Amino acid sequence: MSEPLPDRGWLLVLAVGTALMAALPFVANDYLVGTGLTLLMWVALAQSWCVLSRLTGYVSLGHVVFYGLGAYLVVVTWQLVPLPLAILGAGLLAALFALAVGLPVLRVKGPYFVILTFGLAELVKYSIMAIESASGIASRILFGTPDLVRVYFAMFALAAAAILLLSWVSRSRFGHGLRSLRENELAAETLGVPVVRYKLLAFVLSAAIPGMVGAVMALRSTYFVVGQVFDPMISITVIAMAILGGGDNAKGPLLGVIFLTALSELLWAQAPLLYMIILGLVLVVFVLLVPDGLLGMFERRHSPTAARIGPSQ
Amino acid sequence: MIDTLLSGQLLFSALVTGSLYALTALGLNLVYGTMRVLNVAHGDLVMLGAYAAFWAFTLWGISPLLAAPAVALIGAALGYAVYRGIFQRLLAAGAGHAGRIEGNSLLLFFGLSIIVQNAVALAFTPNNRAYAYLDEVVRIGSLSMTGNRIAALAIAGTTCIAVALFLRRSVIGLAMRAVIERREAAYVVGVDVDLVQLASFAIGFASAALAGVLMSMLEQFSPFSGFPFTIAGFIVIILGGLGNVMAGLLAALVLGVIETYGVALTSANLRSVLLYGCFVGALLLFPNGLFARRSVRA
Amino acid sequence: MTALLEVCNLGRRFGGLVALSGVSFEIEAGSTVGIMGANGAGKTTLFSLIAGNLRPSSGDIRFAGSSIVGLRADQICGLGVARTFQIVMPFPALTVLENVRTGAMFGKAKLRHAAQADIVARQVLADVGLAEVADRPASTLTLSGQKRLEIARAVATGAQLVLLDEVMAGLTPVEVTQMLQTLRRLQASRGLTLLVIEHVMRALMDLCSRIIVLHHGELIAQGSPQQIGENDKVLSVYFGAHS
Repeated sequence: MSEPLPDRGWLLVLAVGTALMAALPFVANDYLVGTGLTLLMWVALAQSWCVLSRLTGYVSLGHVVFYGLGAYLVVVTWQLVPLPLAILGAGLLAALFALAVGLPVLRVKGPYFVILTFGLAELVKYSIMAIESASGIASRILFGTPDLVRVYFAMFALAAAAILLLSWVSRSRFGHGLRSLRENELAAETLGVPVVRYKLLAFVLSAAIPGMVGAVMALRSTYFVVGQVFDPMISITVIAMAILGGGDNAKGPLLGVIFLTALSELLWAQAPLLYMIILGLVLVVFVLLVPDGLLGMFERRHSPTAARIGPSQ
Repeated sequence: MIDTLLSGQLLFSALVTGSLYALTALGLNLVYGTMRVLNVAHGDLVMLGAYAAFWAFTLWGISPLLAAPAVALIGAALGYAVYRGIFQRLLAAGAGHAGRIEGNSLLLFFGLSIIVQNAVALAFTPNNRAYAYLDEVVRIGSLSMTGNRIAALAIAGTTCIAVALFLRRSVIGLAMRAVIERREAAYVVGVDVDLVQLASFAIGFASAALAGVLMSMLEQFSPFSGFPFTIAGFIVIILGGLGNVMAGLLAALVLGVIETYGVALTSANLRSVLLYGCFVGALLLFPNGLFARRSVRA
Repeated sequence: MTALLEVCNLGRRFGGLVALSGVSFEIEAGSTVGIMGANGAGKTTLFSLIAGNLRPSSGDIRFAGSSIVGLRADQICGLGVARTFQIVMPFPALTVLENVRTGAMFGKAKLRHAAQADIVARQVLADVGLAEVADRPASTLTLSGQKRLEIARAVATGAQLVLLDEVMAGLTPVEVTQMLQTLRRLQASRGLTLLVIEHVMRALMDLCSRIIVLHHGELIAQGSPQQIGENDKVLSVYFGAHS
C-alpha cells in the first residue's frame, strides 16, 4: 500500500483548506457557516462516489439512495435511539443495502449500470413514499435537533473521512486492482484481480459515508420530505462535480465541488432554474470536450505527460 | 373489486397506456437500435410534444388531433437537425469518439435532458398544465370511455402498426433493421447507413412528439413529466428486444397492463413503484439488455 | 512425476455447437508445446478453459496435480497459470509499467507493495524490450509492443505455465524473429512452461518440442514437429486427401 508520497502542493492546499474550514464557525455568521456546511457535504458525497465510479468505471447515477436511506433512518429513530448511534447506524444501513444489492447490480455493465442505479434509487424513493403514505404520514418534523455548529463539525469529520478514504484507496493495491478492472475487466481477472469481490467492496465502501451524510443533513433541515432526500438531482450534481473536476483521485472532485458550490451560491436564490441549466451544460460540455476535467487541464499545463486518468499522487 | 378487475374498463385503460408506451418505445428503439446511443432525453420529446399541443389548443384553439401531424413533422425536423448538427459531427470525429459516445452518451443526454426540462420550466413555469378536449363520455356496450382516450388509442395504435409494417415491408425499413442488427455488415452490403440513421432519428423524434400530443389530452403534465416515459420506453425495449418492434408492442401492452392493474389492485401511490420495479427487474434479468453486442475493445 | 498440466477428456459446448470434445494431453514442466489447428478448431476455447475464463462442459483439468475445474480465473492465476489474449487487451489508460504492475501484484507472486511490484515489472519489461516505453500509456504502443506487453503482464505474475495465444499474429518477419528470441530468453531465465497457439508455422516448429493438432474440437494428432509434418491425418486436414 505504498505509492509515492503525495506531493507537497496538494498537502499544503489540504492543510490550508482544513484550517479554514475548521475555523469557520468561530469567525463567520450563520449564513456562511451554512454555506460551508453545504460545501463539506458535497465534498463527502463526491469523494465517496469516486471510490466506486471513478476507480471502477461503473458510473452510478443512484448515489442519492444511500443519502436518503441514512436520512430516513435518523428520522424514523428520532429520540428513540441516541443520535451518534443513529448516525453510525445510517452508515451501516447504507453499507448493508449496498452489500445486499451489489452482486446482481454490479453484473450489469456500461450505460445499463448507469440507468439501473438511477432506477434503483427511484424505486427505493417511491417505495418509501408509499410506505409513509400508507402509514398516513405526509412529512416529518424533527424537534430538538443539535445546533448548527455541532452539525457543521459532524459534516467536517465526514468530509475529512471521505477525502482520506479516497486517497487511501487510490494509492493502495486495492485501488490499482480497481483501475485495472476499469480498463479491462476480463484481462484484470485473468491476471489475478478478484474482480467481483473488489467491485462489491468498492460499492460498499462508497455507500457508508453518504449514509451518514444524509443522517447529518436530516438534522440540519429538520423537515423531512421523502422526495427531497431521494432527489435524483443530488446524484446528478455529484456526477457533475466529479466530471468537472476530473481525475480518479482525491484532488479532482474537490475542484469540482468548490466550483459548482460557488456557482450555486451565486444563482440559487435568484435563479435556481438557471443553475440547473448550467449544471446540465457542465455535463454536456465536459463529457464531450473536456473529459479529463479541470484537473486534467491543470495537469496538462504543468506536466504534459501526466495528463490522463491514472494513478497519481 | 373483482368486478373492476374483470371489467373491460380496466383493460381499455391498460390498452391506452400501453399504446402510448409503445409509441414512445418505438422511437427509442429506432434511435438506440441504429445509433447505439441511450437517449435518456427521449421522454423530454414527449413532454415537448405535449406542450406544443397544449399551446396550440389554448392559444389558437387548434384541436390536438389536427395539431398531431404538424407536431410530429416538427419532431421529425428536430430529429433531422439534431442528427446533422450533433451526431454526424461526433461520428465524423473518429472511432475514438464513437467509443466515448456510447459509454458517456448517457451522461451527455442526461445533461441535455436537464437543460431542456429546466429551460421549459423557465419559459413556461414549472406548474402542471392540462386542458379539456373530447372528454365527453362515450358508451360502447358496457364500457364508458372518454372520446380522447379512444382517439389516443386509435392514433397510437395505427401509427405503431404502420411503422412496424414500414419496417417489415419497405426497402428503407429493411435497411433499418439491417443497421440495427449489425451495423458493420450493413455498410459492407452497401446500405446508406447515414440515411438510415437520419431516417431513424426523424421517425424516432416524430413518434415521441406524437405520443406527447396524445398524452396531453389525457393527463396533466409539467416540464418534468418526460422521465417516466423514458423509463417506460427502456423497459419495453429491454423486455421486447432491440429492434424488434412487434415484440416491443407486446411488451408495451404488458407494461400497460401491469401498471394499470397493479394500481387498481393496490393504490395509485404504487404506480411509480411498479414502473421502476419493472425497470430494475428487467435490467437485472437481462444484464446486457438483450442487445449484447460483441464489441472489440481497443 | 506428474505432469504440470493434465487435460483429461475435456469438452465444451455452446448450446448446440461442440467447441471441444474428448481432448486429452499432458504437459511436462519446462517444455514448450504448440497447439495447431484451423480457425474454429477450438484452440482459444481450450485456453479459456485452462485459464478459467470458461467452465468445461465435461472432463477435467489438473494443474500441479490438483483439479482446477470450477475455480475462478483469478484463483487459477494465483496458482501459477497466466494467459495472453488473441486480441490484445491492454489497460489503455494505464502506463506500460502500471499494466505489468497488475500482473506482479495480483498473480502468483502477489506482491503487496507497488515499489516491489515495479522492480519485478521493470525486469520483465527489460526482458521483452519495452523498458524505454515504461512510462507511456499502453494505448500508444504499436501492435508489436502491445503483444509484448501482454506477454510481460503474464510473465510478471510469476506463473509457471504461460499460455500464449497467437502472439506472432500481425508481426513482420523481423518482428517474429525478435519475438522468438524474447520468448526463448524468458523461458530460459524463468524456467517457464509454455503452451503456444500459433498459425505462423516457422515459429511453431522452431519453438516447440511437441505439437498438438486440433480439428473441429478434437485432438487429431500430437508429436514432434517432424512427426506432425509427416502425419497423414494432419496432411489430409490441411492439404486435402492424398498429398
